[in-house]
Amino acid sequence: MATHDIFMPALSSTMTEGKIVEWLKKPGDPVARGESVLVVESDKADMDVEAFQAGFLAAVLMPAGQTAPVGETIGLIVETEAEIAAAQASAPSAPTAAPAVPVAVAVPVAAAVAAPAPPPVPAPAAVAAVAPPAVPSPPPAAGRLVATPRARKLATQLGVALESLRGSGPHGRIQAEDVELASGQSVSVPRVAEGTAAFAPAAAAAAGNGAAPAAASGQAFGRPGDTVAFNTLQQAVNRNMNASLGVPCFHVGYTITTDRLDALYKTVKGKGVTMTALLAKAVGVVLARHPQVNVAFTEAGMAYPDRVNVAVAVAMDDGGLLTPVLVDADKTDLYSLSRSWADLVARSRTKQLKPDEYSTGTFTLSNLGMFGVDRFDAILPPGTGAILAVAASRPTVVAGADGSIAVKRQMQVNLTADHRVIYGAHGAAFLKDLAALIETNPESLAL
Amino acid sequence: MNPGLDAILFVPDAPVPFARAWRWQRLLQERLLADSRGPEALLILQHPRCYTLGRGASEAHLGFDPLAPPAPLFRIDRGGEVTHHLPGQLVAYPVLNLQRHGADLHLYLRQLEGAVLDVLGQLGLAGERIDGLTGVWLEGRKLAAIGVGARRWISQHGLALNVNCDLSGFAAIVPCGLADRAVGRLCDWLPGLGIDQVQPLLREAIATRFGLTLRPPVGTERLWG
Repeated sequence: MATHDIFMPALSSTMTEGKIVEWLKKPGDPVARGESVLVVESDKADMDVEAFQAGFLAAVLMPAGQTAPVGETIGLIVETEAEIAAAQASAPSAPTAAPAVPVAVAVPVAAAVAAPAPPPVPAPAAVAAVAPPAVPSPPPAAGRLVATPRARKLATQLGVALESLRGSGPHGRIQAEDVELASGQSVSVPRVAEGTAAFAPAAAAAAGNGAAPAAASGQAFGRPGDTVAFNTLQQAVNRNMNASLGVPCFHVGYTITTDRLDALYKTVKGKGVTMTALLAKAVGVVLARHPQVNVAFTEAGMAYPDRVNVAVAVAMDDGGLLTPVLVDADKTDLYSLSRSWADLVARSRTKQLKPDEYSTGTFTLSNLGMFGVDRFDAILPPGTGAILAVAASRPTVVAGADGSIAVKRQMQVNLTADHRVIYGAHGAAFLKDLAALIETNPESLAL
Repeated sequence: MNPGLDAILFVPDAPVPFARAWRWQRLLQERLLADSRGPEALLILQHPRCYTLGRGASEAHLGFDPLAPPAPLFRIDRGGEVTHHLPGQLVAYPVLNLQRHGADLHLYLRQLEGAVLDVLGQLGLAGERIDGLTGVWLEGRKLAAIGVGARRWISQHGLALNVNCDLSGFAAIVPCGLADRAVGRLCDWLPGLGIDQVQPLLREAIATRFGLTLRPPVGTERLWG
């Protein structure tokens, strides 16, 4: 038995809320996968919102004419007709004020990459069909409680009984804050890893505790003593991680000064550009000049993709991770890349990515800079030749060649590569060019 | 850099009844939904007199009984309030896979405005956007109305640019729900200007904005009825 939430979708990077124009289905109606369920309007644009699971519309939590923040649950879909009554009975119906509480779900994590990328092979017809990971189901609910996924996880971590809480969210939905308040924890700002990239550590240090905000409550999927089954996405990640054991990898690192990149970021941040997009663009541009680092091993030989698609690892709050793909990162302008990225992250969060949006990367980027780590190495996703681990940018005392001493911001990057197709010299030359671009000409990324 | 996206251009000579043009758009949308790699399309045409309402539009902005309208009235699957179509006004309906164009509905609205601004620029006029009021404005008058709808990021509907149409029909409605804003037409600034001069400019502006390489329909791509 499973209940699936319908979320207010992000139709634009500048959309914060949307108006429900019309429900095309009534509670109790069957819905087919891909069938339009409701219409959302933002500005002068309408979009049909479709069901991503077949089943029955069990409940409408936000009626037509109302406005809901992006990411808010606005309806429920159940898999069988028998579950409708249960879902309706336990879905609170008294409308309450809806505070716009964004629930941050995406946290990039390195060292594990989920998407089973089909190995690029020369003949498109021969692309091996790799089953995409099924959409993970929310935890089963006996007598359904309406709570955000983050609230459920926090409740497990903090030992709070959800049944005992009154939700402050729309229609009584239990929010993470409710759980934190109930456990006596101070309410933390939902952490949004994406977009702050290498710059978050400075803020954490300024707060005086030196630890990243996430350290306040380390993530766990179970309580002490439990053994928790892997969800579908975690199982897919496990398969991919095991596959990497058959690949002879090596690592090569570089220290890159980021003062000019930081300055550029400040000027374009207001235009919706994220650090992830900047790094992906930089990597894409340099990869285009180093096709040997964009290569993949196949039995037939070295497979050179005809595009530069940079995948970026994004951890899912409920376990596992996805690698949404920025297609043609070398050719796409920075602003389009940033918009695509915002859209991909929003849709990863609501599990609405299509397989080709997370499995067509030719190179992967993993960024843990927001936690302040100074270095790490990543595990190579199958079907690709290399992955770049990006650490935090931090003020560092640097000695110049002439003996001068200066404080500069520097970050370490670490490339993991399949030595069957990429040799040390290829990786090193790629990193040298990447460093030169970021240190001497980052402005070209914004042209 | 890119050779441009393959797009079919439909430019019927005679005004097309709204219902027919709407059916065409839905057909083109269905084709693109069925084959997301297929060609995009652009319809540029005129409508006989009619009124259309967005899906969430208020009938309070109609100055007439919706059961007895002065011209055919359609409630359609786009965003926005009521508007008026008639000969002398060019409408452009791009049926695009917006995933190829940034997957961002607000950006798409801004790009449609941009295309009209480009046309005005070609004519030596400096049109403008007004924050929060989607459309294109010239000296406080609204020259172009915009409203779009999408399914799985495949767009339909689009923009309407007043060239030399009779504006009296707008008096029967509150266009786009804006009571205190006047409607304008290009020929008030450029006397003698006609559809034939503006149509190619609009076609090129949209093609450029969206990186489309326009071509006529071939074989089964043609639209009938």
